[in-house]
Order: sequence, then structure tokens, then C-alpha cells
Amino acid sequence: MKSIDEITRLSAEDLERISLDEGIPLPEELSGKVQEAVRAADRQAQRRRWILPSGIAAAVAVLIAVGLTLTRNPEPQDTFDDPYLAYAEVERVFSKISGAVAYGAEKVNESEQTLDKLSYWK
Amino acid sequence: MKQLYILVAMLLLGISASAQDGRSLYNKYSDCQNVEAVYISPAMFRLIGKIPDVEMNNESVNLGPIIKSLSGLYVLSIREPGTAEELAHDVNAFIKKGQYELLMEAKDNGEVTRMYTVGDEFFVNSFVMIARQGEEVSFICLDGTMPRDQLEDLIADAAK
Repeated sequence: MKSIDEITRLSAEDLERISLDEGIPLPEELSGKVQEAVRAADRQAQRRRWILPSGIAAAVAVLIAVGLTLTRNPEPQDTFDDPYLAYAEVERVFSKISGAVAYGAEKVNESEQTLDKLSYWK
Repeated sequence: MKQLYILVAMLLLGISASAQDGRSLYNKYSDCQNVEAVYISPAMFRLIGKIPDVEMNNESVNLGPIIKSLSGLYVLSIREPGTAEELAHDVNAFIKKGQYELLMEAKDNGEVTRMYTVGDEFFVNSFVMIARQGEEVSFICLDGTMPRDQLEDLIADAAK
């Protein structure tokens, strides 16, 4: 058997002569292997053909989703035109939040006092 | 190719998840009857931030630093029983989807107040308060990049 280097050094005429020489025995599984290699190359080419349309379809899907989100959920109109009024509203909101926290803290204190009384009477 | 499909699926999921936020709830309920609705935009917060600090000093609390980190405020207060119930349901769904963390819960005689935050150790990206008093449901949502310690100090100071 010839090595790859020896084969690459052969001229085109030599290669043609050797390929036409029916005296050289071919491995039995060679034909099957060649056919399988051709089929694999076909499958790969087919897959490549789908990459571009699939990519375009995916990009379109993303654009549609983003567009729908933006149109369905537009930015609301500001309730106040005057920043001072807006600031007063922010203050009111924070006071509401603080009130709720204070209420929670008060309940915790009450519970702690009750627990202290109970432990005193034990 | 599979990676591309996974990426697209994740993007679409992300988009659909982000559709449920304070703004979408505000858009859904602000035009309903018997609803008190307030929205303050990022642009208005920038304007508020330009008000001199002196004038922004409340007797007890200075909101100045936190206001500069806010990008949106949504307030809804609904007295209509059916709509209020629907809002409470939608807020619960949005809290679950948004991976909010319960900050505080107070219950007394059927009145319930819950506060949630989402963010990391240092910053709060969204603060939500939902309060139910009788048939009234109130929803407050603050969006921004609020330093967690500043927000907590502010609420604690004001509650004193």
C-alpha cells in the first residue's frame, strides 16, 4: 500500500492509469463508505440551506414580540406637570409606606411586651 | 442551530415575563372607574431631582438622594370590589413571576399589607407594596436603582 505522500507525488497521468487498472483489487466496503460519505455531505448541505431562513424567521419572531410588547404596554402619561406636585406625591407615597412599616413595628413591640409579661408571671 | 432556537425561546420568554410589570398593571387599571391612579415618569423624576435640596427637605426625612435613583412610580387605589380583587390577583401573579422577595407582611382584622423588593444585596430595582383595607386595594410600585441601605434607612427613619 502506498503512503499519502507517495500518492500526492504521483502525476495526474499516473493517477488516471492506476484508476483504470482493473488488476488492482478494491476493498469490498469502499463503495459503501463512498456512498455514505456522499449522503452525509448531502445532508450537511441540506442543513446549511435551512440556516439562513431559520435565522430570518427567528429574528422576525423576536421583532414581532418586541413590537407587540411595546405597543401593548406604552408609557403612561405623567399625572403631574409640575415637579413640585410630583414631589409632594412621592412624599405622600413614602409616608404611606413608612406608616405601614411603623404599624408593623408597633405590632412587633406589642407582641414583645406580651411575651415579656408572660415570662414575668411564669 | 439548536443554540439559536434556545436563545430565541429565552428571549421570547423574557419579553413575555417583562410584560407583567408595574406599567402593564397601571395601563390595565388606571382608566377603570373608581380608581385613583398616579404615574411619575423617569423624566419627571429627573426634574424633581433638579429641585434644590433645601426645598426637598421634609421636617423628618430627606427624600433627595433616593429620588435621584428612581425611574418610575405607579400608584393604584381601587375601591370597586370586583376590580380590586382582580388587581390583587394580578399583583400576586406579577410578584411570583418577577421573583420578588417578601420584605414585610402585616395583618390585622382582615387588613393586609405586604411589601416586596427585587434586586441584589446592594440595589433594589423594584419595590412593591400592596395593601388591602376592607374592599379597597392599594398598589404602589417604585422602579429604579435604589441603594438598598438608603431605601431601608429612609423607611425606618420615617417610621420612627
